[in-house]
Amino acid sequence: MIEIRFHGRGGQGAVVASELLAQAAFLDGREPQCFPFFGVERRGAPVTAYARIDDRPVGVRTSIVNPDVVVVLDPGLLATTPVCDGLKDGGLLLVNSPRPVERLAAPDSVRRAAVDATAIAVAHGLGSRTMPIVNTTVLGALARASGAVSLEALGRAIDRFVPSHPEANRAAASDGFASVRCVDAGVPSSAPPTAWAPTAPLVLPDGPIATVPSRSIRTAAWRTLTPSIDLARCTRCNFCWKYCPDDAVELDARGYPVIALDSCKGCGICAQVCPPKTIAMVATEETAP
Amino acid sequence: MTREVLSGNYAQAYAVRLARARVISAYPITPQTTIVEKLSEFVASGELDARFVEVESEHSALQVVVSAAGLGARTYTATSSQGLLLMHELLHWASGMRAPIVMGVVNRAVAPPWNIGADHTDTIAQRDTGWLQFYPESNQEVLDTVLEAYRLAESPEVRLPAMVNEDAFYLSHTYEPVDVPTPEIVDRFLPPRESHAVLRPGVAARLGSFTGPDHYVEFRHELARATEAVGKRLPEVEEEYRRFTGRSHGGAFPTYRAEGADAVLVTMGTTSTTARTVVDEMRAEGLKVGLAKLRMFRPFPDDAVRELAGSVDRLGVVDRSYTFGPAGAAATEVRAAIYPTPHHPLVAGFLAGVGGRDVTPAHVRRMFEELLGNPGEATRWEDLLPAEVGAHG
Repeated sequence: MIEIRFHGRGGQGAVVASELLAQAAFLDGREPQCFPFFGVERRGAPVTAYARIDDRPVGVRTSIVNPDVVVVLDPGLLATTPVCDGLKDGGLLLVNSPRPVERLAAPDSVRRAAVDATAIAVAHGLGSRTMPIVNTTVLGALARASGAVSLEALGRAIDRFVPSHPEANRAAASDGFASVRCVDAGVPSSAPPTAWAPTAPLVLPDGPIATVPSRSIRTAAWRTLTPSIDLARCTRCNFCWKYCPDDAVELDARGYPVIALDSCKGCGICAQVCPPKTIAMVATEETAP
Repeated sequence: MTREVLSGNYAQAYAVRLARARVISAYPITPQTTIVEKLSEFVASGELDARFVEVESEHSALQVVVSAAGLGARTYTATSSQGLLLMHELLHWASGMRAPIVMGVVNRAVAPPWNIGADHTDTIAQRDTGWLQFYPESNQEVLDTVLEAYRLAESPEVRLPAMVNEDAFYLSHTYEPVDVPTPEIVDRFLPPRESHAVLRPGVAARLGSFTGPDHYVEFRHELARATEAVGKRLPEVEEEYRRFTGRSHGGAFPTYRAEGADAVLVTMGTTSTTARTVVDEMRAEGLKVGLAKLRMFRPFPDDAVRELAGSVDRLGVVDRSYTFGPAGAAATEVRAAIYPTPHHPLVAGFLAGVGGRDVTPAHVRRMFEELLGNPGEATRWEDLLPAEVGAHG
C-alpha cells in the first residue's frame, strides 16, 4: 500500500487532486481510498487530503500520519506548516516550486521533487497567478516521481471527472509529468535556514474554551497576502482595530495600528474598511514561492 | 451493475436515485450537503423524477417529507449535527405518523465548541424518537443500507422512519470503489411504495390529530410492536437483497472471528473497519480477539448481543460520543441487554474518536490489550492528549 498526504490551501484543488488520484488509480485496476480533512471552508486556509492505493480494499479508516509521499501544492506552506511530519525515511516530498530541487527545505533522508506547477497552470489558463489551480499539473508530476498512478489513467480520469477545461488540465498534467525534477535521499539540502519556528502546542486554559481570545489560535498559516500600513497617511480612526475578526490589530502607545502576524489570516477586511485606504494587501517573502 | 469510485455521500445519493424517491427536501449543512447537492443535480437533469423542495430550515425539511409520506410518496431528506437537533420535534411526528421516511445523517460533533468531525452524539441523542438507526462502515454498505432501509421501513408490519448514518469525512468525504446495482435489479427488490392507510385527495381522513387517554396508549403500543417487528423483518429483507445483488451485511449485529474469543470489541461505524484489520493482526500473533459491530442501534439488537455474551468473558464497547450517562450509550445498552442472562461477561466501556479524532490501529490494539488484561468496568477516555498539552491548567 502507498500512502499519500496532500497539503494545499482552500481553492487550489488539493481535495480534488486526491479524488482524481483515486479515480485514476481505480482506472489502473487498483483499490483506492481518499478523503480530505478541513475545518473551515475558506479560500486560502490550509487543507489536508489523504490517499491510499493498494491491490486489495483498504482496511483502515484514519488519517495518514506516516506517509510514503507528501505533496505540497503551495510552497508558502513549507514555511508555516510542518508538512514533512511523519514522512518515512526514503519517502518522497513533491513541492510545487520554481526553485532548484536541492534548495527545498526538507530532511536529507527523503527524496525530493519540484515542479513549477504555478507557471504551467497559468500557461494553460488554469486559475490566475494569485490563485492558480495547480492540482492536475502536480498530479502529472506525482505520476512521474512516485509511480503511484499512470499518466494514461490520470488523463482518462481528468477527461471524465474534471468539469471545466479537461483538455487544458490534461496538457498541464503532461507538462508536469515531463518537467518534474528529482533528487535522491541522502543529497544534502542547500535551503537557507528559515526564520519560522513551530509554535508551542496549545495548552487548554481553565474553564470553557470559549473564553480563549481568538488571538491565542495562531492562524498565520492561512495568510497568502499581508496587510501593509502606510502610517504616514493613517488617521488613527481605529476602524482596522474595530473590524478585525481575529483581534489581530493592536494599537501602539500613540494609537497607531500594528498587525499581530501570528494571528492575521490575511482576510483583507482591514484594507477594505480603512477610510483613507492606507492599508495594502501585499505578497511577502514568507508567502512567496 | 457498475463499479465506480464514489464518496459515501454520493453512494447515498445514488441509492436514493435507484430507490426512485418522489419527494426530497433538505437544508444544507456540512458535511451532509453533497448528498442533496448531488440529488438536486439528478432532479434537475431529469435522471430522478422527484420533487425537490427547498426550505428555510431542517425543521421545515422534515415537515415537508412527513407530509409527503402521509400522501403515499417515497421520501428522503438528509442532515447532520445541529440540523438533526433542530429536527427533534418532527422526528417524533415522523415515527408517530408512521411515515417510512429514509434520512441520511452524516454523524458530526455537536457544538460547542464548533466541530465538523465524526461523532455519534447527534444521532445517539435521537435514540428515543422511534427511528431505526443504521451505522454503516463503508460506502458500499451505505448504498446497500439505504435500499434495505426503504424496504424495511415500508414493510406493513414496521412502517417506521429510518436513519442511515455516515461517519463525517471517514465516510461522507471518502472516495472508494462501490458496486452500483442496475435500476432493473433495484426496481425488482424495491417496487413503488404501496399507498395504503395514507391520506388521499377526496377521502376524509386524519393523521396525528388529537387522541386522549382513551386511545393514545394503543397508538404507543403499536409503535412498540412495529419496533419489535424489525428484528424479524430485517433478516428477510437482507436475504432478498442478497438474492438480487449477492451482498448482505450480516443483520443488525454481525460478528467477526468472535468464536472462541477471549475478548470481543463492540464497535459502530468506521471504527469497525480498522478494528477488523487489528483483529486479523492480533489473531496472527495468537491472541484470541474478535469483533462485533452494532450495525443497528435502534432497535437495539438485544437478542444477538445476549447470544454473543453467552460465549465471551470480556466485552469492550467503543462509543464515539459522550452522552452524560453512567457509561457510553452503547456500553449502557449492552449491559442492559445482558442483565437477564445467566452468564455475565465483564463489560468495559471505551470512549474513542470523539469530535473526529482518529481511531487508529494503535488505539484499537491498546483497547484489546486493556481488555485482555485487567480492565475493570469504568469508562475510559481512550485517546485523551497527554496531560502536558491536553490538560486544563
